[in-house]
Amino acid sequence: MSEVTWMRTKLTFVLAGVAGLVVVTARPVPAHHAFSAEFDADRPIHLEGTVKKMEWINPHAWVHIEVAKPDGTTETWMIEGGTPNTLLRRGITKKSLLPGTKIVVDGYQAKDGSLKGNGRDLTLPDGSKLFLGSSGTGAPNDGRDPTEQKKPKK
Amino acid sequence: MRNRFQGAGVAAALAAPLTVISLVSTLRGQPVQSVQPVEAPYQAPRTADGRPDLNGIWQALGTAHWDVESHAARPGSVVALGALGAIPAGLGVVEGGEIPYQPWAAAQKQKNLDNWLAADPAVKCFMPGVPRATYMPFPFQIVQTPEFVLMAYEFASATRVIYMNKPDFESPFDTWMGHSRGRWEGETLVVDVTSQVGDTWFDSSGNFHSDAVHVVERYTAMSPDALWYEAEIDDPNVFTRPWKVSMPLYRRLDRNVQLLEFKCVEFVEELMYGHLRKQPNK
Amino acid sequence: MAVMTLASLAPLPASPQDTWTPARTPWGDPDLSGVWDFKTLTPLERPSELSGKDVLSDEDAAEYERETLRSLDKDRRTSDGLTAEQDVRNAYNQFWWDYGTKLTEDKRTSLIVDPPDGRVPPLTPEAQKRADARTAALQRPAHGPEDRTVWERCILGLNTGPPMNPSVYNNNVHLFQIPGTVVILTEMAHDARVVLMDGRPHLPGDIRQWRGDSRGHWEGDTLVVDTTNFTGKTSFRGSGAEMHLVERFTRVGAKTLLYEYTIDDPKSFEKTWSAAIPMTRTEEPMFEYACHEGNYGMFNLLEGARVQERTKSK
Repeated sequence: MSEVTWMRTKLTFVLAGVAGLVVVTARPVPAHHAFSAEFDADRPIHLEGTVKKMEWINPHAWVHIEVAKPDGTTETWMIEGGTPNTLLRRGITKKSLLPGTKIVVDGYQAKDGSLKGNGRDLTLPDGSKLFLGSSGTGAPNDGRDPTEQKKPKK
Repeated sequence: MRNRFQGAGVAAALAAPLTVISLVSTLRGQPVQSVQPVEAPYQAPRTADGRPDLNGIWQALGTAHWDVESHAARPGSVVALGALGAIPAGLGVVEGGEIPYQPWAAAQKQKNLDNWLAADPAVKCFMPGVPRATYMPFPFQIVQTPEFVLMAYEFASATRVIYMNKPDFESPFDTWMGHSRGRWEGETLVVDVTSQVGDTWFDSSGNFHSDAVHVVERYTAMSPDALWYEAEIDDPNVFTRPWKVSMPLYRRLDRNVQLLEFKCVEFVEELMYGHLRKQPNK
Repeated sequence: MAVMTLASLAPLPASPQDTWTPARTPWGDPDLSGVWDFKTLTPLERPSELSGKDVLSDEDAAEYERETLRSLDKDRRTSDGLTAEQDVRNAYNQFWWDYGTKLTEDKRTSLIVDPPDGRVPPLTPEAQKRADARTAALQRPAHGPEDRTVWERCILGLNTGPPMNPSVYNNNVHLFQIPGTVVILTEMAHDARVVLMDGRPHLPGDIRQWRGDSRGHWEGDTLVVDTTNFTGKTSFRGSGAEMHLVERFTRVGAKTLLYEYTIDDPKSFEKTWSAAIPMTRTEEPMFEYACHEGNYGMFNLLEGARVQERTKSK
């Protein structure tokens, strides 16, 4: 093999281990040890609800949603997200998630059993991610219209 | 500190007759409190960009942080603190005397006052908002540049950045220290504060506002070591009309003065989380 | 490709901006002011699998970046091979995160430039004891807030130290300059570190501060910030109360500020060590990071710990 190819192979092999290492040592996520302390890996939740309000606060934003129960009553859940500052820098604003919007929450329930969960994956009913624009793919649609077909902005 | 800026003529032109008028009318509009005669309005030394130099460490005296309205001395809420926990009398800093609450809001204020120890956000080391941050009994530092004026408050390490060149910059969310846009009017730094959360109080006596509050501050050098501070407060949800507080701010002249740390989160953890602490026998 | 060593730290060699000189403040100092973004994919410590490689070729760097972004992608879930515990810890969608997409421009494999292996030197026994105690406290259901990190308690920021260090989001700092003073305002935990430059000594030894006490002076075009008087309640990769931190800020380009720091803490580390982090000018504003005022998480994790204890004891 040429040296370059060998290098690439070695690096790929190395990176498979490095990637894990990056997450664990070089890029520790200490802020979210708190999430392991708050939320229970053995209590996954899947909720479909309507946004009552979103608290644009630090250290973590919270979305309050109303979830219909099978018996017809509703209960209110608090769902924890990340720092709103990241969203604001992407051009997402308070108007991007208005009360009344239907969202789907996949996550884990609080260890104290209360109606709180982390928003591990927040999507709209059509399956698209809330606040589109992850991984630097450019400015998001602002989510104002939950039925809008999501297209990348030019 | 004199600067090398050559535009003394410009500075003089900036100190328009308006300055005298605004200072005089300000002083007229408030109950008899101290202050200096205004025959020769003071002009602060200039920064390199020709503006009044407000840099320094400043602090309010008086009892506005206890109660912005006039009040007699009264006992405190923590018996064990005795005289040192009692509240001194104050002539008040509200121009015209009383805060013009709507009737429902006056009742809410009374509820706040009755419950102040549990309800006052500053007790929990929450950032005090504007204007309360100005007259907390702690120093704060003004760091003045042409584009931004930073105010760093010792209490809770609260900070805010005043944008001097962005009059159209709106805040995308509400914050504890608000969103500040500033401009110069002659000798006066005028700061327009919007987008404050509704959770801060004006003092420890339950005087409050909603998230619609709009504050306009004015900082004017009175002498080398004092500023005159005004804050006009407008909140149609809570008050029947705008109202104003005003007071001097004094330069801290202590030897080697610098802001020290008052990161009070550590001091309130027991208060806020003590009931959730692990008990010894469990 | 130039390797960032202590010897070559200022100025940066071999760049098209050889003739670039920084603008000056009206009183003649280099102008460092503005908002600076310090996110990067280069980790603080060189991964052991890359030992001996202080920089990567362009091709290897691109592959490293791709692979790192893939593994860090927070939208990967248990269906992508994560355990439930890892899934919880990844916390929330990718759109909340902002840790960068590129290594440093010189493709370094670590931000640490000294020692040459790119890793934090070994801890002394007393520092190791402290580190072990911190780890134990974090791994158990919290007894109280003091078991948690200073950023979970909202006392300091996640990336603010001092020294500042890139992390998973909000890697922003705003520098202000007036005659005789520089202020380092970090976005996280809204902290204004005032650096006095009038030659006065540090605070007396009995005044300890979470951020220490900073004094500054110029060495040529480099702002040197000297910080002491730490409390011992913070730890930067193992540091203690006697840490002597020296930071250096140098404009190296129209859009780049080179931030370097040296940690001199013989009670905690077997040798001094240094890192270099390029910061990029941004015209974006910083936003308020009012942490303590919204810290539901602290209530939740303590409540969760107590409920777990009660359940176990049944």
